[in-house]
Amino acid sequence: MLKEELLIVEDLWKFIDGKPVLKGITFDVSRGETKVILGPSGAGKSTLLRCINLLVVPDRGRIIFDGEDVLKRRDIHNVRSKMGFVFQHFNLFSHMTALENVMLGLVKVKKMPKHEAEKKAKEALMAVGIAEELWNRYPAQLSGGQQQRVAIARALAMEPKLILFDEPTSALDPELIWEVLNVMERLAKAKMTMIVVTHEIGFAMRVASEVMFLDDGMILERGPPEQVILNPCNERVKRFMDRMKYVYSLDTG
Amino acid sequence: MISELLYVSLKYGLLLLEGLRTTFIITIASYAIGFAGGLCIAIARVFFHKILKVFAGVYVELFRGTPMLVQLFFVYYALPEIGIRVDPVTASIIAIGLNSAAYQAEYIRSALSSIPYSEIEAAYSLGLTKLNILIYIMLPQAIRIAIPTLTNEAIYLFKYSSIAYFVTASELMYVGKLIATRTFLYVEVYVLLALLYILFSIVLSEIARYIERKLQIPGYVT
Amino acid sequence: MASNTPEIPWWLSKVLEVMWQNFVQYVPIILSALSNTLILAFFSFGLATVLGIVMAFAEVFTSKTILIIVSWVARVLRGVPLILSIFLVFYGLPKLGLTLPPLYAAILGIAIVDAGYQEQIFRGAIKAVSNRQLEAAYSLGLTRASAFLYVVLPQAFRIALPSWINDFTIVLKDTSIAYAIGVVEMFTQAIHVAQVIMDYMWPLVFVALIYLAICYPLSMLSNYLHGKLKMMGMLGSGV
Ligand SMILES: Nc1ncnc2c1ncn2[C@@H]1O[C@H](COP(=O)(O)OP(=O)(O)OP(=O)(O)O)[C@@H](O)[C@H]1O
Ligand SMILES: [Mg+2]
Repeated sequence: MLKEELLIVEDLWKFIDGKPVLKGITFDVSRGETKVILGPSGAGKSTLLRCINLLVVPDRGRIIFDGEDVLKRRDIHNVRSKMGFVFQHFNLFSHMTALENVMLGLVKVKKMPKHEAEKKAKEALMAVGIAEELWNRYPAQLSGGQQQRVAIARALAMEPKLILFDEPTSALDPELIWEVLNVMERLAKAKMTMIVVTHEIGFAMRVASEVMFLDDGMILERGPPEQVILNPCNERVKRFMDRMKYVYSLDTG
Repeated sequence: MISELLYVSLKYGLLLLEGLRTTFIITIASYAIGFAGGLCIAIARVFFHKILKVFAGVYVELFRGTPMLVQLFFVYYALPEIGIRVDPVTASIIAIGLNSAAYQAEYIRSALSSIPYSEIEAAYSLGLTKLNILIYIMLPQAIRIAIPTLTNEAIYLFKYSSIAYFVTASELMYVGKLIATRTFLYVEVYVLLALLYILFSIVLSEIARYIERKLQIPGYVT
Repeated sequence: MASNTPEIPWWLSKVLEVMWQNFVQYVPIILSALSNTLILAFFSFGLATVLGIVMAFAEVFTSKTILIIVSWVARVLRGVPLILSIFLVFYGLPKLGLTLPPLYAAILGIAIVDAGYQEQIFRGAIKAVSNRQLEAAYSLGLTRASAFLYVVLPQAFRIALPSWINDFTIVLKDTSIAYAIGVVEMFTQAIHVAQVIMDYMWPLVFVALIYLAICYPLSMLSNYLHGKLKMMGMLGSGV
């Protein structure tokens, strides 16, 4: 009964200030898959994720999530509650403790009783390696890596069918990047469906089931990570990857 | 001077206390009206549709652009001309309250608009409705951010309630003037009143600071 | 009053019309007092600015004891209701041998209280100019005085400007309280007219509109300048 594809994006267009930012994006994501999106700054990666989550409304195209055309639905918040979103700058609610951040969606959206929500939130926090002594801290009292893991727990606790990551490690110190990537890798192993926008090509190599390269609102190349990252066909992609390899001192072939 | 001050405070102490009570009644009641009204106006201006927004905007500019004294006289002297008659204390509460609503609306609005949009977006991404986001994300933060200005407003109203004197509401200032004309000790009485107002504004501002510290959340710089 | 008909009852509109006709002839009289309102506003505001700036500078650039004294003085000034301050000047100074006519007494009374507020505005502005900028100025070899003159002052003034303009509108509106000692400014005149024609509605609406006509553009200007400062990132916490 379950179809293979959890998400189908068809011919997606988005204009901002009259300028096309997404130009007919088409792809699909199967259940349990980790899709990694690479691309230069301004390519439209964030915009694509925000369209999928309906934080911005696309101008043309179709988004079919879990068998439903989400653009046709009026209760957008119900669609969103089935998708997690992890932001580059964490976006934790600054007036709530780590635990309250995770509980909010459970109580207000899923209408769980408080004690049940608390139990679930604690599980989620444990799952991302946030120990008990941090639960009652406010975001400003946590390190960047801890904040991002709380943000992942916040998304995770909602038991989403899909989690969207928008450069989750870009605002972190190198040391802290690892702890976040580690959590994400474990999620991937546990067959969580994810779309990850990142510049961490090492992570993409290890975890991605498919890599898509986005530039100027179009998908220039897609395929298994070995192909897109190590042996891209497209000239533009090749140039980008060479620079990435230099930055991350991968092979300098 | 000192002996006269003592004489006045002993002989008319009770009267002064009654005046002080009325002053506090006017302050608290008008502050409550101002806060409730200000909250509604601020939410209307940030959240709702055009007509309501325009209406709220006109209200704010109208009340902030004209003297409180004019508003008070309007309520007490002009409204009876169209059949609305209220006693001096009520008139003062209404006028000061409506005026304060305009100011408090602006404080809350600017606090609301200073909440980073990223947090609101995160709330949307969890599936929260607009109303829930207002209640659980925006208002708690906005109120905290606005606390210094909101408590300042309370102190301001405490002082400004003295204009009720003009419409013969028997608050502290009015009582003071009464005593002054009865004893001819104008200066002494006014000094005494000034000391009382200063004392209470300082006490109130210390209480305000305490509240501010109590509600402080790490990461908020105010 | 609670009827649902949106129309004003005919008798009421008739009454208002008659009142308006009574009132119109007094418009020039009310307007003639506008000059006193402006004199009150400008002089008390100017005086308060001088006092406020002096206090702010004394606080930031002199000793710790002066800081404590001045900030308490400002606090005390801010605690006095305007009517009282005007009364104290008007009735109190003669006891010390200085009798001021009502207009001057009102100017001084308003200025004293407003000085407490302007001290806040200017102290905040001076402190908002970041220390880092001062350090940068020193590192270029500027003396303390010239760093102050060319780096702190222009920025502090720009930061203070929106609040300063806003404070002027507050003072302008507060001049109406000079009514308490019979200064013939616009509000007082409107009340006199109201007492003569036995109608408060139109005189009050009329003066309200004049106050609005002055205050609204100024508050727009203040908002605009504030927005501009914000865009330039000059309102952040100055570390
Ligand atoms: N709110 C907005 N207003 C104006 N332009 C916008 C807005 N959001 C996005 N854009 C434009 O859309 C284009 C794509 O932006 P987007 O944020 O999706 O890029 P990105 O691939 O995520 O880049 P980055 O790696 O820097 O995050 C950019 O050219 C950007 O200038
Ligand atoms: Mg982006």
